[in-house]
Amino acid sequence: MKALWFLIPLYLLPLVVKSDTMLTVLIFTFLLSILAVGFNIVFGGAGQLTMFHAAAFGIGSYATFLSMLHFGLPFWLGYLVAVVVVVLVSIVIGWICFKFRLKEFYFAVVTMAFAELCRLIALNWTSVTNGTLGMLVLEKPTLWLPRSGIVKIEQTAAWYFLTLVSLTVVLAFSALLMRSWIGRNFSAIRLNEDLAQTLGIDTFRYKLLAFTISNVIASFAGALYGFYTGFIEPSYLSVTQSLDAIAMVLLGGVSTILGPVVGSMVLTSLPHLIELPAELRVAVYGMILILVILLMPRGIVGLAAGLLKRRAHAS
Amino acid sequence: MTQVVVGQILNGIILGSLYGIIALGVTMTFGITGIVNFALGQFMMIGAYATWYFTDLAMFPFPVAVALAVVISAVAGLVADQALFRFTRNNLVNGLLVSIGLISVTESVALLLFTTTPKNMDTVIAGSWTLGAITLPRMKVVAFLMLAAVIGLTWLGLSRAWLGRATRAYAQNPEAAMLMGVPTKLLQTGVVVYSCAIAGFGGALYACLFSLEPTLGGLFILKGVESAILAGVGNLLGALAGGVILGVTESVGSLYLPSAFRDAYGLVFLVAILLFRPAGLFGGQK
Repeated sequence: MKALWFLIPLYLLPLVVKSDTMLTVLIFTFLLSILAVGFNIVFGGAGQLTMFHAAAFGIGSYATFLSMLHFGLPFWLGYLVAVVVVVLVSIVIGWICFKFRLKEFYFAVVTMAFAELCRLIALNWTSVTNGTLGMLVLEKPTLWLPRSGIVKIEQTAAWYFLTLVSLTVVLAFSALLMRSWIGRNFSAIRLNEDLAQTLGIDTFRYKLLAFTISNVIASFAGALYGFYTGFIEPSYLSVTQSLDAIAMVLLGGVSTILGPVVGSMVLTSLPHLIELPAELRVAVYGMILILVILLMPRGIVGLAAGLLKRRAHAS
Repeated sequence: MTQVVVGQILNGIILGSLYGIIALGVTMTFGITGIVNFALGQFMMIGAYATWYFTDLAMFPFPVAVALAVVISAVAGLVADQALFRFTRNNLVNGLLVSIGLISVTESVALLLFTTTPKNMDTVIAGSWTLGAITLPRMKVVAFLMLAAVIGLTWLGLSRAWLGRATRAYAQNPEAAMLMGVPTKLLQTGVVVYSCAIAGFGGALYACLFSLEPTLGGLFILKGVESAILAGVGNLLGALAGGVILGVTESVGSLYLPSAFRDAYGLVFLVAILLFRPAGLFGGQK
C-alpha cells in the first residue's frame, strides 16, 4: 500500500498546472494505467500472458454505452451490465483455454484469436455497433457528491479527478489482492504451476479468477475511455491496444504495484510532451520501448527497487 | 460457379504461400532463438517497397530488383539482430516487445518515405494460361512456384546438409550442440538474417501482385504466426501447407459465409486445432 503515496503529487498537480493539454494527456495516462493494472494482475500475478484485455476494454465501452442507449440506464448501472457481460465472456474463454491447459505462447495466441473475433463482431454487426464509423457518445457519467448533489463529469478538471480516483481505487484493490491469500496463490501458479497444484491449489479456478478480474478492470478503463473521448470504435479491441498495455507493464516493471502506472506515464505522456508530428511520435514510442526493454529488463520500478536494495545493503 | 470456386481456391493458394514464407521464418526463428520475431512482416514490407522502387523508379530489370530487395532485407535483418534481437534470445515477452518497437519505428519511417497512398507496381509478367474453363494469371502461378521452391529448398537444406543437422541438434539440446562444435551464436544470427531475407523475397513477389501500403507487414505477420501454429511450430514444410490451408479457408469461406468475417474463419480453425491437436496439424502427438 506504500506505493499509493506516489499518487499524492498527482492530486495536487491541478493546483499548479492550469493547461488543459497537460491534464488531458494525464487523463489518457490514467485510463491506460487502469488497463495496464488489470493486465498486471493476470500476467504479473498469475503469469498468464493474455491478449484479451483490449477486447475486454472495448466490450466495456460498447456494453456500457449500448445499455444506456437501449435501456435508458445511467452510466454506472450501464457499466454494471458491461461487468456482467465481461464476466460471462471471460468465464467462457478462460474455461476453454484453461481446461485445455493452454500455456504461454499458445494461451496468448488463442486469447488473441478470441479478441480478434470480438473485434470483428464489433466491426461487422453494423445495426448495433455502427461498424467502422463507430458511435458518438454524447452522454456523460454523473456522480453524486456530498455538497453539490448530482454532477455531470464534463470539464477537464472533473475528468482528471474522476480518472485519478478510479486509478487509485483500482491500484489499492490490486495491492490488497496481491497481498491476500488469493494473490499468493496467483504467485505460486506463476512461479511453478505443477508445484502449486501439488500443494493443493486449484490452479484452474485461480487462473480463471485472475483472468476474469483482469478483464473486469480492463472493461472499467474502457467504459471511462469511451465516455471521455465521446467516441467508441472497433479499434478499441485491436491487438495493438493489447500490446500497448503489455508494453506499459513490462516497461514499468512486471509484478510490481506501481509498474503499470509508471509504464503508462512513460509510453503515453512522454511522446505527447515532446512536440512532434504524428508519424514521428510513433517512432519515438517504438524507440523508448526498445531502449527500456534492452537497458532495463526488469522495468523501471524493478530497477529502482534493485538500486534501493543495493544501497540498503551497502550502508 | 466452379470457375468462381476454383478462382477463389487459387487466390487462397497464392495468398497462403505468402503466409507460408512468413510462417517458415517464424518457425525457424522460434526454434533456434526462442523468440517470435513479430517484426518479420516489416522485412516483407521493406522487400516489397525496395522491389517497387528498383523496378518502377530506378528502372532496373525485375530479377535484379528482387535480388537487391532480398539483400536489403537481409542487411536490415542483420542490423536488427545485432542491435536488438541478440539481447532477447530465449525471452519470449521481451522479444515480442522489441519487435513491436521495431514495427513502430519501421512503419513510421515507411510512412514518411512513401506516404499512405497505395503504390501499384507495373505488371511484370502479363497474361494468363487457360485450362478449360479456368484462367490462371501467369504472375500468380510463377509467384506460387517460386515461394514453394524457396520453402522446399530450405527444407532440403535443413534436412540434408551439415548446417541442417547442426540446426536441429541445437533445437533439441543447445548445450550438447555447443559442445559438439556447433557455432551457436553464428547459427542464431544466421537464422534471423535468413528469415528476414526470405520475408523480403516474399515481399518482392507481393509487390507484383497487390498494391503496397506501409501497414502491410502487420497483417502478414499475424497470418504467418497463425499458419506456423496451424502446421505445428518447428515443421518447415508444414509452414507452406499451413499457410495454404489458411489462405484457402479464408478465400473459400468468404464465398459461402459473410465475407466481412473472412479473418474470423482462419481464427476459428486455429483455435479448434490448438484445442484438439496442440502439436499442430502435422505435428506428432506429444
